[in-house]
Parts: sequence; C-alpha cells; structure tokens
Amino acid sequence: MPAALLFSRLMLRPLRREPARTALTLLAIALGVAVVLAIDLAGDAAAGSFRSSVETLAGDADFEVSAPGGLPSSAAASLATLPYALNLHPRIEDSAEIVQTGHVVPLIGVDMVADASANESGAPQDLGNLSTSPQVWIGRDFPHPASGTLDLRINDRIVTLAIRGRLKGSTGEAAVIDLALADRLLHRDGALDRILIRIPKGESNLDAWEHRLRAALPPGVTLERGGARTRENRKMLQAFRWNLRVLSYIALLVGAFLIYNTISVSVVRRRAEVGILRALGAGRPAIAAAFLAESAAFGLAGSLLGILLGRLLALGAVKLVASTVESLYVSSTPAPIALTLPAALAALVLGTAVSVLSGLAPAIEASTVPPTEAMARGRVDYQSRVHKTRDLVLAALLSLAALIASRIPPVEGKPLFGYLAALLLVAAGSLAIPFLVASLADLTGVPLRRLLGVEAMLAGRGLAASLRRTSVLTAALAVAVAMMAAVGIMVGSFRETVSLWMENQLKADLYLRPAGPESADRHPVMAASVPDRIEQLPEVLAVNRFRAYAISYGGLPATLASTDTALEHRFGRVKFLGAANREAIFHQLPLGNFAVVSEPFANKHHVEAGSTLTLSLGGHSVPLRILGVYYDYASERGYILLDRHVLLRYLPDPAPSNVAVYLKPGVPLDEGRAAVERAIASHSVLVIANRSLRDEAMRIFDRTFAITYALEAVAILVAVMGMAGALLALIIDRRRELGLLRFLGSSAAQIRRLILFEAGLLGLLANAIGLALGVLLSLILIYVINKQSFGWTIQFHWPVAVLLGSLTTVFLAAVLSGLYPARVAMRLNPIEVVHEE
Amino acid sequence: MLPQPASLAEPSQYAETVALLRLESVSKHYATDGARVDALRDVTLSFSPGEFVSLAGPSGCGKSTLLNLAGAMDFPSSGTVSIDGVSTTALNDAALTRLRRNKTGFIFQSFQLLQNLSVVENVELPLLLAGAPHPRERALERLEWVELSGLADRFPHQLSGGQMQRAAIARALVNDPRILLADEPTGNLDTATGAVILTLLRRIVDEHGTLLLMATHSTEAAAASDRIVRLRDGRVERIETRAAV
Ligand SMILES: Nc1ncnc2c1ncn2[C@@H]1O[C@H](COP(=O)(O)OP(=O)(O)OP(=O)(O)O)[C@@H](O)[C@H]1O
Ligand SMILES: [Mg+2]
Repeated sequence: MPAALLFSRLMLRPLRREPARTALTLLAIALGVAVVLAIDLAGDAAAGSFRSSVETLAGDADFEVSAPGGLPSSAAASLATLPYALNLHPRIEDSAEIVQTGHVVPLIGVDMVADASANESGAPQDLGNLSTSPQVWIGRDFPHPASGTLDLRINDRIVTLAIRGRLKGSTGEAAVIDLALADRLLHRDGALDRILIRIPKGESNLDAWEHRLRAALPPGVTLERGGARTRENRKMLQAFRWNLRVLSYIALLVGAFLIYNTISVSVVRRRAEVGILRALGAGRPAIAAAFLAESAAFGLAGSLLGILLGRLLALGAVKLVASTVESLYVSSTPAPIALTLPAALAALVLGTAVSVLSGLAPAIEASTVPPTEAMARGRVDYQSRVHKTRDLVLAALLSLAALIASRIPPVEGKPLFGYLAALLLVAAGSLAIPFLVASLADLTGVPLRRLLGVEAMLAGRGLAASLRRTSVLTAALAVAVAMMAAVGIMVGSFRETVSLWMENQLKADLYLRPAGPESADRHPVMAASVPDRIEQLPEVLAVNRFRAYAISYGGLPATLASTDTALEHRFGRVKFLGAANREAIFHQLPLGNFAVVSEPFANKHHVEAGSTLTLSLGGHSVPLRILGVYYDYASERGYILLDRHVLLRYLPDPAPSNVAVYLKPGVPLDEGRAAVERAIASHSVLVIANRSLRDEAMRIFDRTFAITYALEAVAILVAVMGMAGALLALIIDRRRELGLLRFLGSSAAQIRRLILFEAGLLGLLANAIGLALGVLLSLILIYVINKQSFGWTIQFHWPVAVLLGSLTTVFLAAVLSGLYPARVAMRLNPIEVVHEE
Repeated sequence: MLPQPASLAEPSQYAETVALLRLESVSKHYATDGARVDALRDVTLSFSPGEFVSLAGPSGCGKSTLLNLAGAMDFPSSGTVSIDGVSTTALNDAALTRLRRNKTGFIFQSFQLLQNLSVVENVELPLLLAGAPHPRERALERLEWVELSGLADRFPHQLSGGQMQRAAIARALVNDPRILLADEPTGNLDTATGAVILTLLRRIVDEHGTLLLMATHSTEAAAASDRIVRLRDGRVERIETRAAV
C-alpha cells in the first residue's frame, strides 16, 4: 500500500505535529455534524410522537369520519344501519390534566363494550360496572401507577376516577374512559369527535367503500382515509421542521469554510513539498487525491465524533424542540430519542461529503503546482492569486440572482427559492470579502498605527498579506455572525410585532380560561354559567365569550372560533389587511354565514376577502364568505372567526373556551378580580390580569424561539474555534517573521498584542460584514421565508440590545480565540525560527 | 529607558578602552535528544567600540551561537556576557528588549526583510517597535547612508539580493546601535556585491564607531576586518589582528 504509506507520511504526520490545530478543526466539523444530527433526532422524537396521543387505540382504521365541532349523533346512527359487516369505533377525543402533576394527557372515550368484545386494542375483558363508578384505563406510558384513584382536571372541573388497569399496545399516555362517561364529563350531548371504520376483512377496494360510505353519511361530515389526522399533523409540522433543519445546517456551513481553510493552509505549507513530489514523478491526480484524502479524513473522523456528540446534544435539543412544537402546533410528549443506523450513516456521509467538497478547490490548486516550484527561490506568495475584483463582480451577480430568487413563490409550501436567495447572498458576501479586507487594510494602515500603535499596523498588514486565508476566516465568522444577526433581527422583529399586536389586541381587564396548561390544539371549555354569573356582577361592564374548536381544513389543522362581534367592535382593535372597511365587516359579520380569517390561515389556504369557505358544521354544509383577513399572531394554524351567535346556530354548545371581562370605569383591578373570583369559586378557572397574560405570552414566545438561539450559539462556537485553529496556523506560518521582530527589538508583550490585534481585526471585520449581510438576510427571512412558511406579516424592528450584546460577545470571543495562539507566538524561540531556512 | 548613545557624529567618545562587549569564560551547550552539544567552550573575548571583528571557522564551530549571545538573544550556560559592563544574564525580558532596541542591530545572511512591508517601512520598524520619535525621517536618512533612497517605497521582492542586504543594514542601523551583529552578511551574494556590502560595513564602523561582529566563511570578508577570531569546536583557536592578516 504505497499510497497509504505516502498519505500517512506526507499528510497525516504533519497533522500530528500540530495537535491543537488538528483537534480544533476536527471539533468544528464534529459540532457541525452533531447539530444537524441532534436536530434531526430531536425533531423525530418531538414531532413524531403525537401519533401515539392522537391515534391511541385507533388501530389501523381504513376510514375516519369527523366534523368540525363534533359529529352529530345522526352520523353514527346512519352508519350503524348500513347492511355491511363494518367495524365502527366511535370516539370522543379531548385532553385532561393530572391534577397532582399538571401533566396533560389525551382523554379518550371509546365504546368499552363494543371494543372489549372485539378485543383488538388491548382493552381489558373485565369491564366492571360501567354505569355506576367512573373508571379509567391508563395507557402503557401513562405517568401514574396503575392502581388507586386518579384526579383529572377535565375542562373546568376536577373528576376523581378509579383506575382499572393499564392498557397494552401503543396506548401511550392516554387516559381511556367509556364513551358514555366521556359524553357526560365533557357535556357532549351525544356528539362524537370521530368514528373510525374498519371495512370487512378481505375487502381491498377502498375507493368503492369510500363511495358507499359517503352516500350513507349526512352531507355535513368529513370522510377520510385512516391516519388522516396524523398526516395532517405531519404536514403542519413540515414547514417548521424544514426551517429548523435549515437552521441546523448553518453550523455545518461554517464548518465547511474552516475545512476549506485548513486544507488551503495544508496546500500552502506543502507547496515546495508538492513541487518536489511532482519533480519526483507524482502526477497531478495523485496530488489532488492526497489533499482530498486529507479532507475526507477530517470529515470522517469529525463526523464520527459528531455522531456521538449529536446523540448527546439531542437530549437538550429535544426539550427545546418539544416546547416549540407544543406552544406553536400540537400537544405532544417527546418520544425517546432513537439514533438509528440510517440516521448515523446519513450524518457520516453528510459530514464527509461537506468536507471533501470544501477541500476540492485547494486540492485542485495543489495539483497545479509546477515542479519548478521546488527549485524556486523563496515562497511564491499564494495570496497574490486572489482575484479581488473578479470576485467582487461575481458577488454583484450573485446578489442579483438572490434578488430574483427571493421573488419566486414557494414550492409545495416550502420556501425553496427563499433559501436559495439566502444561500446566494451568503456566497456573494463571502466573495466580496477579499476586496473589503484589502480595502480596509489599505484605508486603515496609517490611522491604525496612529491610534493603536505599530502592532495594530503590523496586524493589519499581516492580514492583508495573507488575504485569501484571512478572507476565508472572515467569511466563516461573518457567515456565522450574519446568520445570528439575521435570525436575531427576525425573531426580535417578530417579538416586537407580537408585543405591539397584543397591546393593541388585549383590551379587556381580565381573561378567564380553564386551569391547566395551554396548547395550540387544545381548547378546554368552562361552564356556560361562568360568564353568565360574571355578567351579573355590579363591577363588570361587559363580558365577551370566545369559543374555539380544533378542526381540520383543507388537509391541515386549523382553529374555528367565535366571538361577540358587537363587543369586538366596541373594545377590540382587530386590524385587517389591506384597505378593508372595518366598520362594514363588523356590521356584516353577525348577519349570516360570514367569517373573517387570520393572516396565517389566508396564506396557508390561499384565500382572501371575498373567497368562500365551506365547513361542515353540525350536520350541515355551511358556505362562509370571507369578509376580511386580520392580523393575528396567536396561532400558526390560522383562525376562522365567526360571530358567536352564527356559530351557535350550527354548534349549539354555549360553553366558552375563553372569557374576556371588561370592568366598569373606576373599578380597581384588584376589586374586580376578587369579585370575579368569588363568583366562579367552584370552577377550576384561571383569572388572569391583562398584564400577566401579555407577560405569559411573551414568555411562551421566548421559549418557542429558544432553539433558534441555541443553534446560533453553536454556529458561533464553531466559527470561533475555527478561528483559533486558523490563527494558530497563521502564527506557525509566520513564525520566522515573529522571531525576526524579536531580533528587531519587539518585546514578548508586543508580539502577543500583535496576535490579539489580528484576532480583534478579524472579529471586527467579520462583525461589520456579518451585520451588513445579516440585515439583508433578515429581510429574506422576514419577507420571504417566514411569510412563505408561516404566513405572518412581521414588521421590521431593530433588536438593538440583542444585536449589540451578541456582536460584542462575538468580538470578545474572537479576541479570546487569539489568546492561545498569542501564547504560542510569545513562546517561539526567535533564534530557532529565524535560522530555520 | 537606558541612556541613548551619544550622537554618532562624535566617535571620539568611544576612544576609551572600556570593553563595550565582553565574554568571560562563556560556555554554551545544547541538549538535544540526550546528546550534549558544546557549541561554545570557555570563550573569553573582549571588544571595543569602532572595531570590525570577523568570526571565522568551519561550519558548526559556534559562530552564530556567539553572535546570539552577544546580541542578548540567548544566554550562556556558564560564564558571563556583559554589554557596557552589565551582564545579560541579570536582565529580565523587559530590560533585554530595551537593550536590543537601544544597543544592538542584527544583519542576517538571508536578509530577513518582512515581505509585506515596503523598504522604508522595514527600516523604520525597530523605531516603531521602540516607540522612538521621528521614525520616518530617521529611516530615510539610513537609507541614504546605504544609498537606497530611491527604492524606499519598493517592496522586498522587487529588490536584488545586494539591495535587500543594504536595506537590512539600514534597518540594523536605524536605532543607532553600538553593536552590529552580522551573520554571514555576504553569504547569499556574489563576490562583487559582497565587496560592496563589506565596504559599506567598514564605512559605518569607521564613521560611527560601531562595534561590528561578523560571522563569515569568506576570506575576502575576513580580510576587511580589524581582527579575526578563529573558532574551532567551540573554542577560540587563534586571534589574528589586521597586521598579521
Ligand atoms: N538550538 C540548537 N540545538 C542544538 N544544537 C544546536 C543548536 N544551535 C546550534 N547547535 C549546535 O551548536 C553548534 C554550533 O552551531 P552554530 O550555529 O553556532 O555554528 P556556526 O558556526 O554558525 O555554523 P555555520 O557556519 O554552519 O553557520 C553546532 O554543532 C550546532 O549543531
Ligand atoms: Mg551560523
């Protein structure tokens, strides 16, 4: 194996001689790969698990029947009379909170008698006496011992149930009760959430069966293939997981710059060596292969380390991802993290491929070194090969391409071209960097010396002299900074937009909701008597009842809601998109089948003012004309909002999900609050003051975006580690010069300052370029990617404090990354390094 | 700050016989991989201002080692090296740095100019490092001495070997050093160019009273000096004065 021997002697041995630098490069790749893997695993764990809660005991139904706001009992009746041997599983699906722990679990009502006789889902045979004592079966992973009693908060009531046993199979964390009991506890009046249907064994023509069932069902219900709910949730989460995944690639992208740098350094160092090898008969492909093998070795070793690290990081990531999923989308309990072989292999291939690709350009450059190089006097300055101006022109062209890409609509709901635009912009920024570095070094030469001394001038010169390397380093850090700034600006703008919106929106003094944690897909209700009683209080001016149903529309989860239009008009500050006539909308809304929809809904389902939606409500197919689209940041699923009385006509359940209380002028908040609390003392309902509601919303907001900050931090960490490694290389390559400076009378402290200045200049430059690039990227994020993925209009705001804080941190980190290299530089023996040649 | 040397225009000040540089029983050994290399053994030498001294001897005899000790870049294993009566061993890093800034100048075989600084920037660099006043004027003046005024703004790679060495000499002189240490300054140059450099060095010694210590392999170079110290295996083998040459 002469190739392997040569590779080990010529490529690997030098790496061993610089363990610190080699380790830093490896760690940078490892972190990049780890983050991608961690996010993938965490996403699977957090987003994949809702299947178990929604589909508890669902088995593999062939069809499912549902309707927004509940199936009328007529639907079940018409199915039951069909002359086929169908398996029907009527269900009530809701959630409940375990009182002692605050843990929210799915609460599922199934027909125990029917299911037990079918005995397919692991329901126990012994049913006990169903009619008298309320009983519950708990799922396999239910967080409670399988004996004694269980206190559950169901809507605004606490119910004590006797635990009958633990279910087997994929029953997750569900609490399963008999259908009749569920109907009673949830006040359903016979309405079901779903009927799961299994067609007779041996039948396979699902289309024919769909036809048959459709004909038997009343018009206002939805018939879908089994598993539709899971598919919907997955589809809903797709955009989120997509964006998260893209975000997780940032660290790897930064890592790619560093690999490029490492291999470039390796090529430069061994130019003479390469020349000698070429003179000794090595062909061009052999030279290129050697350097590619070096990058592959880095990629492979880094990825292996990254897989281990990723598995560890996933533990932390899953918490963050789950909390985002929970507050934005769907209640879920993360499944255990499963590092599968395919996932590990994918990470390995990804890391190695990125490494090899990053090493491609320097490897090709190495193969073009002529044999004469070996005999050339001194080192030909490879830096002079930088084509500043040509690159600048390219950068301009790429920016133009980015601009065009940002105008292209999404592909299947994914902002593919938005990402392309971002990537093009990053490439353009990187290409512009050599020009900027060179100009800056030219511009600042004299002032830098005047201001900060000769060390600063030398640092500037040093950086400009090794332009290509400096540019790659600056680019790596600048890209990390740009991403950080862009996401920072986006999230900051979003936060500010939401905060302003809430200030506008939340005008009531007190808000009521059933106790227990909230989630985007759970809308527990309180007794209708609660607002009625509050309305009678002398302190109270008005009460608005708000009702929400989690529904599915157009194959995606959505929220159907109703509000008191008159009160909304009088107190609310709802803002409509475009030039909508607010007065006319509020006037028309209570008059009939009209609705307003939230902006995310309109964007997801491509509807606008004037469009008509058709919903099946209470057994009727109801066409609703959209009067306007309003700004809303409460839910990513999107709202269809009707007048309360209009919706009550179709779904006559008066229980509200939320209640807003307006106190009479002059009534102190504490007094009003006390009165309200007295009036509803027997209900498990939270009374929240306006201020705390907003604070809580902002807390949820911050929790939701914690994962993005964590990803940014890792990208910055990778960049800073890479910088430390690269500075180390720069010092080793310039050791003769540094030694000479000692001969010329510089003190060790001056050498250290010189290196720290270089780190600082790099940090400053990367910050400046990164910030500029970041602002542009944030525009793409806000107006293209966010809009296409989530459908929100975000007002641009400068999150000054966040930006200042993170830029300072990056700058300090950059300077700190120079500390170790500076120590190395100080300790160089000037005699040895000067006499080396 | 140590006292600045008096103006170079008054060489008379150096006429006194107090040794500017003195090595007393100096030994220097290196330990590499367990084996001990004695680069210098019990060397005692004394040098005065205005002297041009050559260090000669076969490769590996300890010439460069001696220069490094004389320039306070390194310390003897035993014995003392004193400059102006002060032992270098007694000085801390700050004091050594000051000493280098004020009293010594180095010239190398391979010139050692910084590639990314122009000629004049290279020359003024020691002054900038020392924070001395008027670096540019003084650098240009030294370039005049070595007859390179016209090339001040060129970069090293645009110069010939002889020009590079003259620039390096200008740099070594810019801080008015009393001791000039040159390690084979003509080693990389052809004979004619080497002769020009030697004439230049001679002139500097004569005009400014500088002590020049030059390691060399070439007999022509040695012939230009006042004294030749011949080393062999780290010992002083013989000292030849000009008369004897
Ligand atoms: N850093 C070191 N470590 C170990 N040995 C060293 C070191 N520096 C010099 N030596 C040894 O000390 C001896 C004297 O070296 P020095 O460089 O002074 O010789 P020189 O006279 O300058 O030779 P040349 O004419 O080839 O330049 C040599 O044997 C050399 O191998
Ligand atoms: Mg030598």
